[in-house]
Order: sequence, then C-alpha cells, then structure tokens
Amino acid sequence: MQGVTAPREQAPPVISTSSTILNMREKEKYIEDFDFPFCDESSKYEKVAKIGQGTFGEVFKARARNSSKKFVAMKKVLMDNEKEGFPITALREIKILQLLKHENVVNLIEICRTKATLHNKYRSTFYLVFDFCEHDLAGLLSNVNVKFSLGEIKKVMQQLLNGLYYIHSNKILHRDMKAANVLITKNGILKLADFGLARAFSVAKSGQANKYTNRVVTLWYRPPELLLGDRNYGPPVDMWGAGCIMAEMWTRSPIMQGPTEQQQLILISQLCGSCTPDVWPGVENLDLYNKMELPKGQKRKVKERLKHYVKDPYGCDLLDKLLQLDPAKRYDADTALNHDFFWTDPMPCDLASMLAQHTQSMFEYLAPPRRPGHLRHHHHVAGAQPKPVPQDSTYQDRVF
Amino acid sequence: MPYWYYDKKDLQNTPSFRDGISNENENRYRKEGARFIIDTGSKMDLGYNTVATGVVYFHRFYMFHSFRTFPRYITACCCLFLAGKVEETPKKCKDIIKVARSLLTDQKFSTFGEDPKEEVMTLERILLQTIKFDLQVEHPYGYLLKYAKCLKGDKTKLQKMVQMAWTFVNDSLCTTLCLQWEPEVIAVALMFLAGKLSKFEVVDWNGRIPKHNAWWDMFVEDITMELLEDICHQVLDLYSMQAQPSGGDSPPIPSTTKPPKNEKKPPSGTPPTSVSPVAPVVNKTATPVKNGAGMGVGMGMEPRPELPRAGAGAGAEARFPLYGAPPGAYCAPPPRLPPPPRLPPPPRLPLPLVYSEPPPSYPPVLVPPVPPPPYYPPRPYYPPP
Repeated sequence: MQGVTAPREQAPPVISTSSTILNMREKEKYIEDFDFPFCDESSKYEKVAKIGQGTFGEVFKARARNSSKKFVAMKKVLMDNEKEGFPITALREIKILQLLKHENVVNLIEICRTKATLHNKYRSTFYLVFDFCEHDLAGLLSNVNVKFSLGEIKKVMQQLLNGLYYIHSNKILHRDMKAANVLITKNGILKLADFGLARAFSVAKSGQANKYTNRVVTLWYRPPELLLGDRNYGPPVDMWGAGCIMAEMWTRSPIMQGPTEQQQLILISQLCGSCTPDVWPGVENLDLYNKMELPKGQKRKVKERLKHYVKDPYGCDLLDKLLQLDPAKRYDADTALNHDFFWTDPMPCDLASMLAQHTQSMFEYLAPPRRPGHLRHHHHVAGAQPKPVPQDSTYQDRVF
Repeated sequence: MPYWYYDKKDLQNTPSFRDGISNENENRYRKEGARFIIDTGSKMDLGYNTVATGVVYFHRFYMFHSFRTFPRYITACCCLFLAGKVEETPKKCKDIIKVARSLLTDQKFSTFGEDPKEEVMTLERILLQTIKFDLQVEHPYGYLLKYAKCLKGDKTKLQKMVQMAWTFVNDSLCTTLCLQWEPEVIAVALMFLAGKLSKFEVVDWNGRIPKHNAWWDMFVEDITMELLEDICHQVLDLYSMQAQPSGGDSPPIPSTTKPPKNEKKPPSGTPPTSVSPVAPVVNKTATPVKNGAGMGVGMGMEPRPELPRAGAGAGAEARFPLYGAPPGAYCAPPPRLPPPPRLPPPPRLPLPLVYSEPPPSYPPVLVPPVPPPPYYPPRPYYPPP
C-alpha cells in the first residue's frame, strides 16, 4: 500500500534543522495539499462585481461555477492589520449567523478559503458566503422610480420587525440598523444583514450592569441613550433604528442626518422633544447627560412633522411609538407587530410584483451619491469624528 | 454542520495512527495537550468554558491531522487563543505564548519555532478550516448544574456529588469523550459516577413520571447502564494511567529520513494495545465481559488485547467497583500498582476545581453562580471599534 500518502512520501528527504518538528518545507507542502473537508475553496465561485464594503471587508457578487444561475454575496474577512489573528468581530458575526436561521435574516451558506500557497505565505483569505439579495433598502429608496404603496411599506416594516423579533428572542442585538443593511430579494423577501457589530446580550442582573460599547450604530440611526453614553442598553437600540428606517420609507432619505454626535442629539430633540427626567426617568444618570448640550424646552413634534409624509394615521402613531426617547417606553418588536398599522386596510402586500418592474440590482453602494458627506462607516473608527457635512443653511431640516 | 462524534473504530484509525503513531502514544499526546490547555488557561484566569472549548477544538483538530505534522503544545496554544476570542475572554497571543514557555521545557517549547507568534497565527487559519468554523461548543458543566437542580435529597450530599462530578467533567477533557458523546450524556454519566462514589443515592427528583426508572431517564432517553459504565471508566482510566510510566517526554519526532510508513503501522483492523480511553474499553452496545474476551466482534473489532492497565491482573472486578463495593474498596489501589491512584481527587486536580471560575458556589448548588448565558457571556473586552 505504499503511495497511499503519496504527496508526502514523495517529498524529497530534507535534513531537518530541528529534530522535533516537521521541517518547514514539508509542513508548507502539507498545508498546501491538505483538502480541508469542511472548508471549500473560494474558487468554486466566480466574482462578478464588487457590491459593497462591509464592516470588516469588501463584499462581492459572485456566481457558483457549477451553476450559472446561483448567485452569492461573498464578504471578505480583512485580516491584514490584525495583530491578534482572526478578528474577534468576524468570529462574533460567524457565531451569530450560524445561530440565526430565519427567513428575514440573511443566510450564511458557508465560509470559503483561498488556497494556502507560497504567495500568501501559507495564509488563506476567508470569505463569508451568503445567499445573494438583489437590492438593499437604501438603494431602492434612493431610486425615484421605485415607488412603494402603503401596503408595500407595511410589508417591508412587517418583515423588518419579524426579523428583529427573531434576533431579539435569540438574545442578539444587531447594533447597526440602517437602510443599507436591510436587503430585499427580487421576490420581495426582506433580510437583515451585516451582523458585524452584533453581539449577544443578557438581561442585566440587579447590581451588575452590562458594559457594552456605545460606539455602535451609524450616527444617523443612533438612539438617544447611546448618544448619552449608556452602556447597559438592549433591544430598544435596534427599535429606534427601525423607527428611523420606517420614516425613511416615506421621506426617502434618513430623517436625522447629524454630522456629529452633539448635532445628532440636537436633531433628535428637535423632533422628539427635550430629553428630560420627566419624559425619560433615569436619563439624568447617563454618563454624558451633563456633558452634552441638550436643547431645553423642545416640544415633541414627531406626528406633527411626519404627518405631511406619512398620511396614514396608524403609520404616524407607530412611528411615534418607535421614536420614543425613553428606551423603556419604546415599542418592542412584538408590540409593534401587533400595532393596528399592520392590521388595517390596506393590509401588507407582497413586494414581488413591484420589484419585478426593476430588473437592475439596486445597492446603495452602487447608487449615485445622493447624500453629500454620507459617511457610511464613520462610527467604526473610534475617535474619528465624521467630517462636517458641507453646510447649507437648511441641512438640519433638509428632510422636513 | 459537521458531525463531531465518532465511534471507537474511528478513534483508533486517526491521522496520527495512520502516520505511524500508536494509539497509546496518541492518547498520551491528547491527554498532555488537554492538560496543558487546562494549566495554561488556569494560569491566565480563563474560565472553565473557555478552557473546555479550547480542549474540544484540540481533540477535533487531531481527527484531521497527525501529531507528527502538528506538535501538540503549539496546537494547544492556538486552540486556547481561539477559544478565548470565541468565548469573549480574549487573551493576547504573546501572553499565551509567555505562559506556555513558563510551563514547558526548552525542548518542548522548541516546537514553537523561531517566531512562535507567527506560527500560532498561521496555525489559527488551519485550525479554523479544520473545525469548519464550528465555533460554538457546548460543555457538560451547564447540564450538570441544570440536572442537579432537579434532584431531591440531602443538600450537603447533593453538593458534594455535584462538586465531584464537576471535577470528573474537568478531567474528562483529557479523554476523547467529547468526540464520542454529547455533553448531556457525559454530564449524566459523570453525575452517576459521582453519585456512586459519594454515596448519594437519588431516589426522587422533580419532574418524575412513572416511566422513569432512573433520574437520568428524564434528561437523556434510552441511556443504557453499559454506556454509563463505559463513560465512567474512560474517565477513571485516566487515574490509573497516571500511575504508569508515561513513556518519555518526547513529542513525536519525525526522523529525518522517514522509514516507510507502513513499517510502523500495525495491520489495519488490529487495535494496538492501549491504556487509553480511546481503546475499546467496552463496546457501547455490548455486554461488558471480563478481560475483553470475545468483545465487540460485531463492530469489526478484534478481541480486546490483554489489559495493560491498572488492575489488569485482578480481573475486571478490580475495575468495576462501582456497585456494591464500599467506596473504600473503590479508592483502593489496583493491585501491584503503587502509588494508589487516589480517587477522587485525581492528583493533579485537587478539589476544589482547577479553573479560576469555581464551579458554582456550592453552596447553593441550586443556583448556578455563573449561569452560562445562552450564547456567550458578555465580557466587554475588545469592544468593536
């Protein structure tokens, strides 16, 4: 049976410098030849186009080589600047995606690798491979030709809340809700995507608060408790984002585009009223409550300002419940799903027929810039303040 | 998801075995690697979950690679490094290497190569691919606590039993049990063992229904006495192994001019003699028989080779003191083998437990002190940028 392990037997006898380990060349050869049974090579897919930039790497559209019709999205795991090996954020995302299997959560198919060769110093690159989704919500909303009926908006929000209900039930916080992270297939199925900032949460036990980082969530979708330095937050942070996205279904552009954290808080106060212990008991205990400038005497104008866009009174009411300053009063996903908005005419209706009119894939990444100074990931670099948006006198009210 | 459980035949025909390493040596390498992860983890104040996760990665890794290709101590470091990140208790690679160096002889540490950190980084990618990024691993600890909550009886005795079972779970990491059985099964079996040893007989439990013959029927269906005994013996065998000469320190040394592989390789199908947990102790479905006569033929296994283990001369009775025999007898040394393997605690794992997070404050056994959160404990190290 000689030759069964041919590749290694054939390696020329090399005098090992250390008697205790397989010599380097033998090992490299071994790694190069080893056919990892559980981890396919990324060459089984053929890249078609770059479609985005995720939290920790580029995203490509790719086609399975064994089937010209099967498309996937491949997200590259960036490891170049990692002192500590495979990034812990990528490990979190993988763990979470392996756990979450739901129609409204993006599906992780597998993790692929490039072959380890001399060229990459015997270090593979990894890709997370997802089912391909044709659109993202930001891309759809930035296209004026895409028009959502009220029933279709309800369907979008219903699916979004279903997804949030599911992940929150599994004790996962998304922590990066925004329109660009909401994918929609050509069949009208919505998928929450990009769990690069997600984490598991636990209900804080008495006397022992959680200490999560509050530098999460893209600024425009960041809830007031994070802006005020809360580190013991929970699912309501995602619900605020859901409210911002819901409003955006009508306004077609993010409703509060603050250039800085301070500005963002001001915008929030101008829409939702001042952050006071009256409307939000306990707000005075948050770390930054006394350090940030908080507009006083602002009245809550959520319904008043949004009703011009959101003609449906139930829609206005649900928005009002999602954009609550006090996270404890903010609707959770379950309560929101039971809101009359979803149970009155017009009922939620399928998106497939509307999307069928649009054959071009729409991703925010590919869309022409529509938001000056829209910094997609300004929250990821600690300490880096977003560049000021080119100021025009109306920017604070650009939406309303 | 890949299936991570193997039968005993697979556990003998491993990559290392096919590479000319005897089962006996492989099991020693596994035990030493696991012990090293436990020691390194404990020294770095890593919790029992992180340590156990690292050990499971280690065992899985060597179901695909040979100990000759990948020396065990650096693999062990790599597994602990990855487990630290996965369990949200990350440690810097260089710190792990520093501790490793302090625990290893120069000769053993030389397997880390010229740039140990770079070696670990390269190895991490190989590890991830080998284990299919199947990062989340469950351990018996949580089940142990959950099951204990349901048992009725004397609180002090129950506590003692749980603590003993906890130690057995720690030690089971040095066996390949995590490659054979789900954590629920291991938890039940080692509680059963601890119950016998601490003379805590469970006569009633919450949630009992008429069809339950024993308390464990409530947690694992169709578990047989043979299986329980098999698992217990795999752990108990560790203690008798320690009384034996370890067979030297050396890692598998690839000779510079390798002999043809097959020379070293026992004819396939003939399990080598082994003292290890991997050896066919008792066929899972077979009736235990003395001295292995005619055992496990149905599984394609040869009759068990002579027992080169503690108590071999005395026959199986010496190794089956679980029933009837007073616990004193249980702890008695197997004939002819000084020093007596004291049971429990095993010599290197004194009670209370080795890991920094002590198993739940027993007292209150009923409230797991470190209630393992469903996924990963929230520890705010390495917050996302």
